[in-house]
Amino acid sequence: MARDKAIPPESFEELLAWFNPDRELAAAMYVQLRNDLTRIFIWRGCLDPEGMTDDVFDRVARKVATVRPTYEGDPRRYFHAVANKLILESLKKLKMHVSLDDVELSPQQITENATQAEAIASEECLQSCLQKLDNDKRQLIKAYYAKQKQAKIDHRSKLADDLGIKLPALRVRLFRIRESLEQCIERCLKNKAHNR
Amino acid sequence: MKKETLSDALLRAFLLGEIDHEERERIEGLFLTDSQERERILIAEQDLIDEYLEDGLTPEDKQRFIALYAQTTEQRRKLGITKSIKDWAIREAGLPQPTSTKVSLWTRLRARPWLKPVVVIPIAVAAMVAIVIAIVWVNSRERNRRHLAIEQELVQLNTPASLRESFAGKDSADLTPGAHRGAEQQTEIKKSGGIRELRLLWVQQERYPSYEAEIKRVGHDESLTSPKLQGENDRGYRVRLRLPVHLLDPGQYQIRLSGINADGSSGLVEEYLFTLSE
Repeated sequence: MARDKAIPPESFEELLAWFNPDRELAAAMYVQLRNDLTRIFIWRGCLDPEGMTDDVFDRVARKVATVRPTYEGDPRRYFHAVANKLILESLKKLKMHVSLDDVELSPQQITENATQAEAIASEECLQSCLQKLDNDKRQLIKAYYAKQKQAKIDHRSKLADDLGIKLPALRVRLFRIRESLEQCIERCLKNKAHNR
Repeated sequence: MKKETLSDALLRAFLLGEIDHEERERIEGLFLTDSQERERILIAEQDLIDEYLEDGLTPEDKQRFIALYAQTTEQRRKLGITKSIKDWAIREAGLPQPTSTKVSLWTRLRARPWLKPVVVIPIAVAAMVAIVIAIVWVNSRERNRRHLAIEQELVQLNTPASLRESFAGKDSADLTPGAHRGAEQQTEIKKSGGIRELRLLWVQQERYPSYEAEIKRVGHDESLTSPKLQGENDRGYRVRLRLPVHLLDPGQYQIRLSGINADGSSGLVEEYLFTLSE
């Protein structure tokens, strides 16, 4: 957070306080807002989403002492406005085109691991995180992806029926399992890279 | 607007960057402040990623998807994680897996002792000839694909919505029609600038509902067309044209700007010249 030395350290505390008086809740909101802003920058085609997110927090931190007392409404909207301004300023940094070679590549090729070591690490992390999942969640992922393309539509409806829930609820359930699994794999890969 | 207007189709268009600025900001606002909508958007993103990984997107959507979600190494790594989960599930469910043809083909070839030099050499010669023909064909196809991609980019840059987005003044250049200035004044544009906005001065008295620009490198046959441009009064009557100059080859370029009547017929034409340099 203290990327910019001109930002007073107390600004971070004031930012958290602006989110929520409860420091724990505020910290959770802070983390989520960082992730969400990064995602917005990705959706807008920005080249350095993480860097731009840092920039937004730096800018708000610099002004929080003056803005907070008079600002009305959800502070996340203020962050959003700052992010929008930043996007306009860095219009030239937006991705303007896709490499023609990339369009020709299959998803298989796009996602191929760069090295064998990475592929092994990735597989180890996947297995380790799958083991940490409850068996019924593992079975649900397996069942959800058992069919692809057109066949999956009927298959997933039937799966939702079998579970006694609606299809949207099944999608939510699957999304949450997959998100936690992906986060587990991310953490595992980072640890492996750190220990290498 | 009500929440229920966030349909799957709208979210998909949002995730592929196919909606207007106002709607995009509204959805982003909901994403940041409404936990239910946030989850719906993330689920729609998950579905889109699944569709991409199953190679189920149209070529246009695939291009947009790659531009947004598979451009950096980090993004590709994350996609790889998602794919590994799906692959595991499919493997466990006993479905056929896509295999690495490169490895298995080589392994199969090496495993055949009857492939002796006397058989292999004529096959290799024939293969070489085929490769040369293929290279010529691929090069020509590559040129066509590149041209198509640049033209798509050109059209996207010049939609009314894109042109409404602000543009840094230093990246624009004013061009006057060729007949109205000496050759020594020809505008030079650097390729390194990325996207450039050209402001084409329309000196004719007649005004048209729309204009069409044809951009052509002098001495070459291929041209790019940007239709449905609008004129506007700004220090004279001008038509703005945004060019992806980083995608163009250096050289001298001519722009033919035609007025287009309401019935689609062409009206008067103005010509502009500029030089694109490294």
